[in-house]
Amino acid sequence: MNVDLLTQSPVFVLAIPLLFAFLTPLANKVSKELRNAVFLIGLLLTTLFVSLMAYEVYTMGSWIYVFGAEQPTTGLTTQSFFRITFLADGFSVLAALTIIITALGAGIYSFGHMKESNGLGKFYTLFLLTLAGVNGMVLTSDLFNLFVWFEVTSIASCGLIAYHNDRGESVEAALKYMIISVIAGLLLLFSIGFFYGEYGVLNYFLIRDSMTGSLIDILAIGMVMVILAMKASSVPMHMWAPDAYSEAPEPITPFIAITSLGSLFVLFRLLFFVFRGAVETSAIGSILIILGVLSMFIGVSMALKQSDLKRLIAYLSVSQIGYMMMAVGVGLATLGTGDYGIFGARAMEGGLFHMINDGVYKALLFLSAGGIVYVADTRDLNKLGGLAHHMPYTTFFFIIGGLSIAGIPPLSGFSSKLLIYKSVYLYNPVLAIIALVVSIVTLALIGKIFFNAFLGPDQGVGKKIPRSMILAMSILTIVVVLFSLFPNYVVAEIVVPAIEGLGVGA
Amino acid sequence: MNWFTLFPLIMVVTLIIMGLYVVLFKKNLIKIIMGIALMQNGANLFLVSLAYREGYVAPIWTSAPSADMVLPTPHALTLTSIVIGVATTALMLSFVMMIKKHYGTINSDEVRRCRE
Amino acid sequence: MNFKMSVVVRTVADIMIIPIIVFGIYLILHGHLTPGGGFQGGAVIASATALLIVAWGTLKDNKDDFSTMESTGLTMFFLLALLGIIMGFSLFYNSLAGTGGIFGGTVSGINPGYINTGGTVPLMNIVVGLEVVAALSLILYMMAKRSDALEVEE
Repeated sequence: MNVDLLTQSPVFVLAIPLLFAFLTPLANKVSKELRNAVFLIGLLLTTLFVSLMAYEVYTMGSWIYVFGAEQPTTGLTTQSFFRITFLADGFSVLAALTIIITALGAGIYSFGHMKESNGLGKFYTLFLLTLAGVNGMVLTSDLFNLFVWFEVTSIASCGLIAYHNDRGESVEAALKYMIISVIAGLLLLFSIGFFYGEYGVLNYFLIRDSMTGSLIDILAIGMVMVILAMKASSVPMHMWAPDAYSEAPEPITPFIAITSLGSLFVLFRLLFFVFRGAVETSAIGSILIILGVLSMFIGVSMALKQSDLKRLIAYLSVSQIGYMMMAVGVGLATLGTGDYGIFGARAMEGGLFHMINDGVYKALLFLSAGGIVYVADTRDLNKLGGLAHHMPYTTFFFIIGGLSIAGIPPLSGFSSKLLIYKSVYLYNPVLAIIALVVSIVTLALIGKIFFNAFLGPDQGVGKKIPRSMILAMSILTIVVVLFSLFPNYVVAEIVVPAIEGLGVGA
Repeated sequence: MNWFTLFPLIMVVTLIIMGLYVVLFKKNLIKIIMGIALMQNGANLFLVSLAYREGYVAPIWTSAPSADMVLPTPHALTLTSIVIGVATTALMLSFVMMIKKHYGTINSDEVRRCRE
Repeated sequence: MNFKMSVVVRTVADIMIIPIIVFGIYLILHGHLTPGGGFQGGAVIASATALLIVAWGTLKDNKDDFSTMESTGLTMFFLLALLGIIMGFSLFYNSLAGTGGIFGGTVSGINPGYINTGGTVPLMNIVVGLEVVAALSLILYMMAKRSDALEVEE
């Protein structure tokens, strides 16, 4: 009966949301208060175990968790090569931290926001299932398991998008996302089949060790890249994102964004950790850079013509994905050359730091936009106005989130974008200039939202913002401010171990 | 590679092409979902045919004959994929039911209220 | 609207669900010995629900029972998986195999078909079976209620 919670923590990060997801409908039969309590306890316990895992990784180093083994840390043996494994290292911790901070904000926010909806038992179940799915995706080190969590995430988040099913648009957006996810899942299944047919193993470590870089490998890697870039809403495959982001219930929108970031985490894990030895890294890196530049540019130019508040932020979110893909692409393209030491590693730091930054400030932005929609009951920027009279806190939170996404010093977005500009400039100055221009346009768009929604004459509103929504946004604001005050500390303690976890050295 | 091992792969390609054709060119949402189901079956058949090894027996330990067994990993993967396929198909069909209720049509050209 | 079928169909359906359910239970209980298991057996039992819905047009409203059963099954499954951790091993570790008691029998070499073996595996099959019966019946039931189809996602 001696349970070592520190060693077992990665599996609890997955198991606690799953268990509480199944307990929530049972608690819902007793009373609403019990259901909310169960949901909150699930979220807080997950946060606790993420922190335990982070503590253990940062003090003791990484380890492989083997399911069903006598001891979880025995590692893979020849008898157990088919077992499911989790990998707890710096990169998993970075991803899990990004996910749990956003989930905590969105979860607390939904108490106030969804108060008047019915069927909330199912809502919280799907919420926790999505959380478990994304956590599983980023923690697993087995392709089979990756497929399962990929599909769990898709199904649960589609259920959440269609939550307001009295509106046809929500259902339409959910069906669109679902069809894309299912086809992506099929392609993933095919590429898993290719890997299995060629090597007879599915574990990341074993595939990495036996990969030869044959034509089938290239085909399978190409399919995996397409799928994960599609789920990450990178540009040629971004058309589902604005619909899904804008039609989902307000607390869920940052969560859909987090599933996108989760797919990006998986893409980077696979490219750096598994496929690196077998492919031409400079070619793959160039593809990532091209996708990134396209996402940045097209995302922000599509955002220019939007008059729907949430749709505009959704396109901004697509363009932010581009920054990460470009920065990590530069890291991958320079890998193995002398340039990696000069600026490649800085680009990786910038890209990964931008991921955790982006997860948090984008959640803050989406949640404060949700506050606007909650109070004013419209998403049309031309009809909004004068809200600063009624919601001073939300105005403040929006300014913090907006200036951060635009990369204005001293906020956290600036630190990561500065790292990206400096390193990418050395790789190719044109890329850095495009990134700067996109940042400026982003600032202009944030200004447009701010002027349209918050300033102007008082138009009068019916509703007040519940306290739990303010609390959720304050939590995210505190995290953004902390990241802004101590960027050096975050890069040294969280981002550099993550890069080491990818096996490329900082 | 003899005819016996090639035949399932030909069927896989046929199913995938049929499914893709339906998904890309049909306008009825129910037919699109049927096309996706066809592709899912193709993927499942692909995985099962990967597991086939000539001369090996099925991996069932009850009263097993003394011969080599195939590794059941692809079968487990196929089973998982079938279960997920059931869930996704049911979810998509219920979305279509709701779309029919709201829009009065299931023609994918007319179900376009979300703006670009 | 009621889509009730003729008395012949209804009577035969009422009789046929007995062998269907028995076969489903057989598949679930022998899941650790022969092909089958929780999902397959559960799907077979849920086909009895489908048969009843087709024959009788609709069922009485028992979706609360089904959703309770579904959540209970899944919770039990996870508690069984956590048993491995509670006993001091890892998640999903089969801590009941070979310890005596229910499903704790031991075999050496090839199992000739003793059902009292397998540790947590048959228990997991049973709870997964419960979950699948409930979930698939719920889906069928919701889809059969044509007029109230909007409740499916709630």
